[in-house]
Amino acid sequence: MSQNIKVTKRPVNSLKHALYLPAIAAGVKVTFKHFFKNISDINAVETLRYPEEQPTDISDRYRGLHRLTHRQDGSEACVACFMCATACPSNCIFIEAEEREDGLDEKRPKSFFIDTLECVFCGYCVEACPCDAIRMDTGIFSLTGNKREDFVMDKEQLLSHKGAFGEELSRARS
Amino acid sequence: MSSSAIVVVIISFTLGTLLALLTIPMLVWMERRVASLIQDRVGPNRTNIFGFRLGGIVQSFADVVKLLLKEEYYPAHIKTGRWLFMFAPIITFVAALLAFMAIPFADTLNINGELLRIQPLPIDFGVFWYLAIGAVGVLGVIFGGWMSHNKYALLGAARAGSMVISYELPLGLSILSFIITYDTIDFNAMVHFQTGTFFGFLPAWGIFIQPLASIILIIALFAETNRNPFTVAEGESEIVAGYMTEHTAMKFAMYFMGEYVAMNTASAVIITMVFGGYQLPYFATEELLQHFTAFAVVMMLVLALFIYGFIKWMQKNNRVTKRLSNDGGRAFETRFFTIAFIVMGVVLELILLYLAFISQSDLERSISVAVVQVAIFVMKLMLFNLFFIIIRWTLPRFRYDQVQTLGWKYLLPLSLVNIFITALVVVGVSL
Repeated sequence: MSQNIKVTKRPVNSLKHALYLPAIAAGVKVTFKHFFKNISDINAVETLRYPEEQPTDISDRYRGLHRLTHRQDGSEACVACFMCATACPSNCIFIEAEEREDGLDEKRPKSFFIDTLECVFCGYCVEACPCDAIRMDTGIFSLTGNKREDFVMDKEQLLSHKGAFGEELSRARS
Repeated sequence: MSSSAIVVVIISFTLGTLLALLTIPMLVWMERRVASLIQDRVGPNRTNIFGFRLGGIVQSFADVVKLLLKEEYYPAHIKTGRWLFMFAPIITFVAALLAFMAIPFADTLNINGELLRIQPLPIDFGVFWYLAIGAVGVLGVIFGGWMSHNKYALLGAARAGSMVISYELPLGLSILSFIITYDTIDFNAMVHFQTGTFFGFLPAWGIFIQPLASIILIIALFAETNRNPFTVAEGESEIVAGYMTEHTAMKFAMYFMGEYVAMNTASAVIITMVFGGYQLPYFATEELLQHFTAFAVVMMLVLALFIYGFIKWMQKNNRVTKRLSNDGGRAFETRFFTIAFIVMGVVLELILLYLAFISQSDLERSISVAVVQVAIFVMKLMLFNLFFIIIRWTLPRFRYDQVQTLGWKYLLPLSLVNIFITALVVVGVSL
């Protein structure tokens, strides 16, 4: 055990240390070096020039804006089981169910709202869904609007979002 | 009072007001851009008026418009003393603004035997004016925090109070040693003392004559302006925004702008007392007037080089990175300002040419020397403001008990010893 102990050398209590001003000078030297380098060539600064440049590092695990997946025939995969609304920690999913007439399933959502201002983008709804009906793979990271109502997504909007990584249909309900 | 005296007073008052107020957007912009450049970012550069970005300075004006249009919100829980709550930011702002007015921007003008000060307030007790008015500024902070009826604001105000007792004594004592050395309380006479050389080769600036008092003065003024590393009255992680937590919209903006005016004032005082004020190092005003032709020729060369360098820098940096195809009108802006600067440079060169070789009038010469001195003053002011900003983005914040330890245990004894030594030397020299 003892050979693993590493003794850190404490800074000495020299006059230079106590004065504090040499340390400030050293710090100013570092910041001024950065300042001078960047002011002489601003384009050497390595940042993303958003919004002209968009991020390229959004992977398929990125939790973007939600979408509702489809079945083969284009209808929604959701069966209105309320699992996502129950799992949601911020209670931002509002579902109203109705009977499904086409015989594929028993229930379907009559309305499906997600209040994205309340949403914390935790992904629990995606984990909870038994039908692979709700996903967060749209890659949309920026959401804008002029009023609060613009941020409440309804069923049609959620169904219209496209998956960014090739998988369009629900894998559980096809 | 002659008409020329009235004109000079009006011009210097306008100059002082503009220097204090127009530097606020400048300084806010400088703060944000310098901070981002230090942190390897780009900073605000998108706001524009008809495509003119001016390197992002338009952002400051956009911010002011935003603050003006914001809802005026009065905290309903403040039952008594609402007028003081409203008045507190104004105290801070006005105190900093008034303190700036005692700074001389150029040497005393001699117009037909009449001596006219280029000083917004033509007073010869500037140091006392600064000490008296400058100390009032912190009252606005304390009132604002106290009247907010908010624990964070109250803590911020208490910290501001603890700051006052930490820095005021070393500040006053270090200024006292300057007064003993310069033998005057007039800022202009202080600048006069600092012309010429010290030990034959150093400019006779306060920082070389009184190094210890200079450092104490600079530290104390950093504390007085509430700048880092002494921003104890506001601490995001502990007390939200400190004393200004309850102040919104324009009331907040008054505090915010007051901070920058105070920083500007502190820079001006430090420059005037320590860094030779409006004077060029090594050259007194009389020498410049005697060798005016040579001075004007040197000025022409410096001006041409400066404008050439600035245009080169602008053409290199007012561009988008190569990865982007659309430059957002930067090429047009660069072309416009290149032409504008060349025209301005040519006009100034012609004026200097006229002054150097054709004009023989003493009045024109002394006025042009005064204009150059104002330019030097502004340049030094901006450089020291840049120093303030770089220090802010370099150092972490002191704890308020550490500020008190620094003030009472280190700066106070040091400044007392410094006064003692200064007095011994001054008496010894005069014997």
